[in-house]
Amino acid sequence: MTCGVLGIIVWAIVKRGWPAISWGFFSEQIKLVGADGGIFYNLQGTGILLVTAFLVSAPAALALALLHGVYLKPQRRGGLALMLYILNGVPSILFGIFGMIVFVQYLDWGKSWLTGGILLGFMILPTVTIALMERIAAIPRRYTEAAAALGLRQSQIIRSVILPQSVGGLVTGSLLGLARAAGETAPIMFTATIFAGATFPTGIKESPVLTLPYHIFILAQDSFDPAVGSKLWGTALTLLLLVFLLSLLALPARLKLRQPAHHD
Amino acid sequence: MTDPLFQIRDLTVHSGPRPLLQSVDLDIPGEGGVFGFVGPSGAGKSTLLKSLNRLLELTPGLTIGGGVKFQGGDIYARSLNPDALRARIGMLFQQPVIFPAGILANVLFGIRRLGTVPRKALAETAERALRDAAIWDEVKDRLRESALRLSTGQQQRLCLARTLACQPEVILMDEPTSALDPRSSAAIEELIEKLKVRQPIVLVTHNLPQARRLCGSLALLCAGRLVMTGPASQVLDAPELESCLTPSLC
Repeated sequence: MTCGVLGIIVWAIVKRGWPAISWGFFSEQIKLVGADGGIFYNLQGTGILLVTAFLVSAPAALALALLHGVYLKPQRRGGLALMLYILNGVPSILFGIFGMIVFVQYLDWGKSWLTGGILLGFMILPTVTIALMERIAAIPRRYTEAAAALGLRQSQIIRSVILPQSVGGLVTGSLLGLARAAGETAPIMFTATIFAGATFPTGIKESPVLTLPYHIFILAQDSFDPAVGSKLWGTALTLLLLVFLLSLLALPARLKLRQPAHHD
Repeated sequence: MTDPLFQIRDLTVHSGPRPLLQSVDLDIPGEGGVFGFVGPSGAGKSTLLKSLNRLLELTPGLTIGGGVKFQGGDIYARSLNPDALRARIGMLFQQPVIFPAGILANVLFGIRRLGTVPRKALAETAERALRDAAIWDEVKDRLRESALRLSTGQQQRLCLARTLACQPEVILMDEPTSALDPRSSAAIEELIEKLKVRQPIVLVTHNLPQARRLCGSLALLCAGRLVMTGPASQVLDAPELESCLTPSLC
């Protein structure tokens, strides 16, 4: 069933999107309101948002996962996990509204790539944190006990035992979270992205970027023009490939980095 | 007479409502040699051992009452830093704990981070510790190789080397041979024989012939209580031992 649905979606997108794919499609910028040209700045903009989201979420996830696995008493851990699950359930449009009120209006940034990156970072925070938390919880206690018995301080145990054995969780969680964030439209449509006219951002205020999902969103409303339709499906295929790539990258990291904890 | 190495007074440990140790009073003498804890499984031997370097408090859900003095100083005093205490007391576990790293990195795992030995002297410290643990000849040509490739017996000696590198004042051993084959066990026993001249060792074992071979004095524990303590031969021949090892009583 899952394979069937996935197969139909992939087939439909590849069939319509493949004719649009060419080198120029990736290297040129948008022309004729999306009917011609390529998606270079959209790819770049989505890349900027994803890198920013990673840089925002990774340190926060690390801090929260250590709080959960090392510092909090067991009876308090449930509360933190519950908050993460609630955050995970917040509809993405609410992140968009929150971002508009706080960053766009209150901080007066206007539309900015940084707002988009921060919001996407918040969105994937639960995924990254929970992956990291699970990895920390899976570290056999004898490792931390042996390190403590040698007289190492807690900070040294974190650096020498816990982090090396859980970094795989950070990598996998981030890649899976980013795969999801790459396609999010709602959080960035009124905070970070525009349809045309933006290049590489050089500041923070009034520095929006072009993105893949917003491009699809706008073109989809205009797709009665066959030229636009072709570009739309091409963009959709690109986004799909990007998401697949991120998920695939997570796979070997998951398999490989899990090994050390299994050596007994 | 020298001060006792450890003075345990009214030590009580609970896991929730369940008592693991009940009012244990025990002096572990400071003359050196091997002091052994014997008793059936679940008697509280490991719990008692781990209370000596405050490793016990890393296990969640335990309440610890009473006190322990190490060389006259109260180790449960608020002002005492447990990390500094654990650096002075070495420990060897039942299962060798090898970090996923090279052999040399494993030997230096503690000492490099404690910072008590200058960087330049680390290689020398590692060699001396590996020699003392009788594993130098087996690993000297492959110090950078993963320590996970060593046999279990070699891993246990590597763990001992890691502890020795930190130059502890006493070594606690929690059934260090129970996971090993007879040959590796004999190698560890031989090492204990050699080391006990240099520094005191507190050994938990359920292997009574081993206790007879290695230990000068013994404490017999049963169901969380200290039953008797004294010279090894006296404890091992006492009628209490027999009744203690009868499963119905413990």
